[in-house]
Amino acid sequence: MDWAYLFEISLTGVAGGGLYALAALAFVLVYKATRVVNIAIGEMLMIGAYIFFSFAATFALPIWLAALAAVLGTGALGAVIERTMIRPLLGQPPISVFMVTVGLASILIGLVEIIWTADQRRLPEFLPNTPVMIGDAFLAPKVAYGSLLALALIALVLLLFRFWRGGVALRATASDQGAAYMMGINVPRVFSLAWVASGMIAAVAGIVVGAIGGISSSMGVFGLSVLVVVIVGGLDSVLGALVGGLFIGLIEALAGAFLGAEYKLLATFVMLVVVLMIRPYGLSGTHEIERL
Amino acid sequence: MKNADSLSLRRRSIVLAAGAALASPALVHAQAEDIVLGGSIPMTGVFAFAGIGINAGIADYVKIVNDGGGIKGRKLRYVPEDTGYKVDVSVAAFKKITSQNKVNLYYGDSTGFSKTINPELDRSGQILMAGASFATELNDPKKYPNQFLVGPDYTEMFGILLKHIAKEKPGAKVAFVYSDSEFGRDPIEESEAVAKKLGLSVPIKIMTPAGSVDVSTEVIKLRRAAPDYTIFHGYVLAPIPEFIQQGKQQGMTSKWMGTFWTMDSSTVMKMGDAGDGFMGVMPYRYHYDTAAKSPMMDKIRALRPEYQSTAYMQGFLTAMLFTEAARRTLDAGKPLDGKNLKAALNSIKDYDTGGLIGVPITIKGNSIPVGRVYKADMKAQKMVAASDWIALD
Amino acid sequence: MRIGTLKESYTADAALFDSTTQKTWLCAGAALLVLLPFVASDYWLYLACLVAINVASATGLNILTGYTGLVSLGQAAFMGLGAYTVAILQMRVGTPFLVNIFAGGAVAMLGGVIVGIPSLRVKGLYLAIATIAASFITHFLFANSKFTGGTTGLSLPPATLFGLPLDTSFRLYWVIVPIMLLMVLGAANLFRTRVGRAFIAIRDRDISAEVLGIPLLRYKLLSFGLSSFYAGVAGGLWAYFFRVVTPESFPLLMSIFFLAAIIVGGMGSILGGILGAVFMTLVPELLKLVFDILPGGTEMTVLLSPVRMVVFGMLIVGFLVFEPHGLAEVWRRVRRFFHLWPFRN
Repeated sequence: MDWAYLFEISLTGVAGGGLYALAALAFVLVYKATRVVNIAIGEMLMIGAYIFFSFAATFALPIWLAALAAVLGTGALGAVIERTMIRPLLGQPPISVFMVTVGLASILIGLVEIIWTADQRRLPEFLPNTPVMIGDAFLAPKVAYGSLLALALIALVLLLFRFWRGGVALRATASDQGAAYMMGINVPRVFSLAWVASGMIAAVAGIVVGAIGGISSSMGVFGLSVLVVVIVGGLDSVLGALVGGLFIGLIEALAGAFLGAEYKLLATFVMLVVVLMIRPYGLSGTHEIERL
Repeated sequence: MKNADSLSLRRRSIVLAAGAALASPALVHAQAEDIVLGGSIPMTGVFAFAGIGINAGIADYVKIVNDGGGIKGRKLRYVPEDTGYKVDVSVAAFKKITSQNKVNLYYGDSTGFSKTINPELDRSGQILMAGASFATELNDPKKYPNQFLVGPDYTEMFGILLKHIAKEKPGAKVAFVYSDSEFGRDPIEESEAVAKKLGLSVPIKIMTPAGSVDVSTEVIKLRRAAPDYTIFHGYVLAPIPEFIQQGKQQGMTSKWMGTFWTMDSSTVMKMGDAGDGFMGVMPYRYHYDTAAKSPMMDKIRALRPEYQSTAYMQGFLTAMLFTEAARRTLDAGKPLDGKNLKAALNSIKDYDTGGLIGVPITIKGNSIPVGRVYKADMKAQKMVAASDWIALD
Repeated sequence: MRIGTLKESYTADAALFDSTTQKTWLCAGAALLVLLPFVASDYWLYLACLVAINVASATGLNILTGYTGLVSLGQAAFMGLGAYTVAILQMRVGTPFLVNIFAGGAVAMLGGVIVGIPSLRVKGLYLAIATIAASFITHFLFANSKFTGGTTGLSLPPATLFGLPLDTSFRLYWVIVPIMLLMVLGAANLFRTRVGRAFIAIRDRDISAEVLGIPLLRYKLLSFGLSSFYAGVAGGLWAYFFRVVTPESFPLLMSIFFLAAIIVGGMGSILGGILGAVFMTLVPELLKLVFDILPGGTEMTVLLSPVRMVVFGMLIVGFLVFEPHGLAEVWRRVRRFFHLWPFRN
């Protein structure tokens, strides 16, 4: 057993899992506040990456400005989606809203292909290039800095939830909508806030993922792995998104290294089935009690 | 009731009229004079970049032929359908085009499609097919009598690269990195045998799943194998730049090489600094290659002054060979069917492609085993020749 | 105007088609179906066969999702099971065509029951996600086992019926459409029986259904099994139609297509399944016709596929936002208009 190899693979896996955690965070924000399973999270990621690409490569803006534009743009997109597609379906069975996000994913992919064509593209380099060394183990810098960014954002969101009025309002709405209304919280505004925040985080995730693997109109399949992460971590738990992300990243890396790369996706989905059978609400999700 | 009767009578006549309207397309396609070149073209999806080029290349050559009076007075008609590089969409497009037209020439978009449609081609016996695939399996005139490759097959491409490596550094270690698809898996086994025969060793073969984003674990595996050369196959662009970049960052000294579909100039230039010195096999000239006298290249440059990809060249050449096969069949007074077209194609000997391929070509079996090794020069933003035109037999 | 529908016996009340107008329309429809292959071009016959296969599969999904309330994104995987079974039997064993189709349905049914087992533990969206996982796992099995031909897939010879090879759309039409009609009729009849009513009870409130004495697991598995049987038969017909089966033939996108079809058509009604499948299959072809008319040449063909995706997405979102009960509801409104004419409502 080559421990150095195992350590190196695990390290890369965990770092890659940080990216999953970031995308899962965007998902969890929306679910926590509005109880909507947003299967189009991968596509929102893609839009963020493409907006960044347009501003950074086509219009040659400085990186930070392009990133800001991407974040704001995707946030705005989140608000628009919430207003036009999610708000009218308040009170419909959850499967309807789920299917709306499926339709949304299709629309976003189609739009990207129309505007930017289906070619694969690369983002301009902006992450440092020197490899990160932990002992003897190499860690690709992009992955390392990407996951550090993910951790920072998750920490930020956790703090906001604790100390900022908006964050507390979000948690309140998540736990009991009726009571939140009675306490004077503007629940529709909270919904919009959740979607905007989700869009912004998805943009950051998209930029990082795009920086690592390039962008294309099929980037959205990243969303399926994120689905596994949130199930494992719990659909409405931010901390669960982090833990789930790291865990699934690790499983994928180990499966890829020791079984072969084609087993990566299989391993994550088998994990999904196992978790669904043993602990359907994930590691730290709220157990839904159905009442007649 | 009288009202209901007249209402249902009206409805019934509408239904009959609709039925007649449905039948009309059957009458429209009665032009038996045109020679139809059908195409399953990957204009969207992972191969979109290539598909758009192929489409333009075929369309341009068809236009040149028709402007010159067609093939013995008969116009060449190009009927493409977008497939998104998916085999079943491709099969559906094939069924649709062949049910609407009498097709004698067909361009297939992928290795998978070419393999799966083969029994159908054998059954109908009416179509000669070529395509975007250079798969080794297809280079078998007995198993695939109605198909041919517009260049060397992937194992032959690997062979050219491995020969080059064996000359440069005998006994070197060569790693293969390929994609999990029909396209990617095709030449790997045979090429490993070829490498061993040339005295080279293959320390590792890495397969990456389609659409994978993060290849860090694969790069770690590659680095541990410490190869002297790494050949990529089965990709257009991603994830090669990540492999090269991360590999270089982790101190790998391997030289990087690729096969046909990676070798387009604009694709390689997208690799940035990581792509400097990237080598590969290309059977055609690049759009900007003015080194030798090439009348057809000049014509292409006149038609399209901006850079055209290698995919364009491939489509253009395919249409050229299709036209030549059709012309020779009609000259011999034979009907246009699969057997005759293939026989006509195989009669092509020392044929001058007008400079698309640097030497005259002969199509003995199913492939054109000619190619040249090119190297990327990032400063000049061009691909430069690193060897002579090599013809395998 | 329909004045009153008087029923004099219990059987008459439970009949599927009650009025003379309905029956005459059905006869006209049947006549149209019989006439179609003789007047339509090969291309429209191809479309008709494809529509029939999609209707069969959508009806199956409707049983599971529309009537039992169990959301499934695995319909394509079950079709794949059916298609591969048929391909393997036709290629390697040579059993007759109907036996193969039945076997395809049976294998898919087995798969469906296995996938349905988690429904004991999870419900709603979690079950949907479990079916996505099942879809991926079956795809992996198809792509990585030599038995199923790996990534190359399988290419099967045409079916033969009484010695005649079924290799043109014309011949296949006469096999596919009757099978589809049988399946749709079967599904319609299912919901006149107690099994069907149990399914509906489970959809409305499964805990209450259990209180009423309906064994949940058994009926949920039955629902999964039935719907995947339908999918398996549809997949088998698909295999005979395209004669090429690859792991990429049944992607997750196809499951989404069927779910979209029953949503657009109207979940929980047989007519909805039919309308939805017909509509969603024909819309891309309609788009292609529109694109052919527009000027622009080959540059426009590049746009066709993304526009198709956008239209697909907008149809789903549009119907869910504006007409949640789908095309069947639109149809019912039109019928009500004609029933009540000359009165308004």
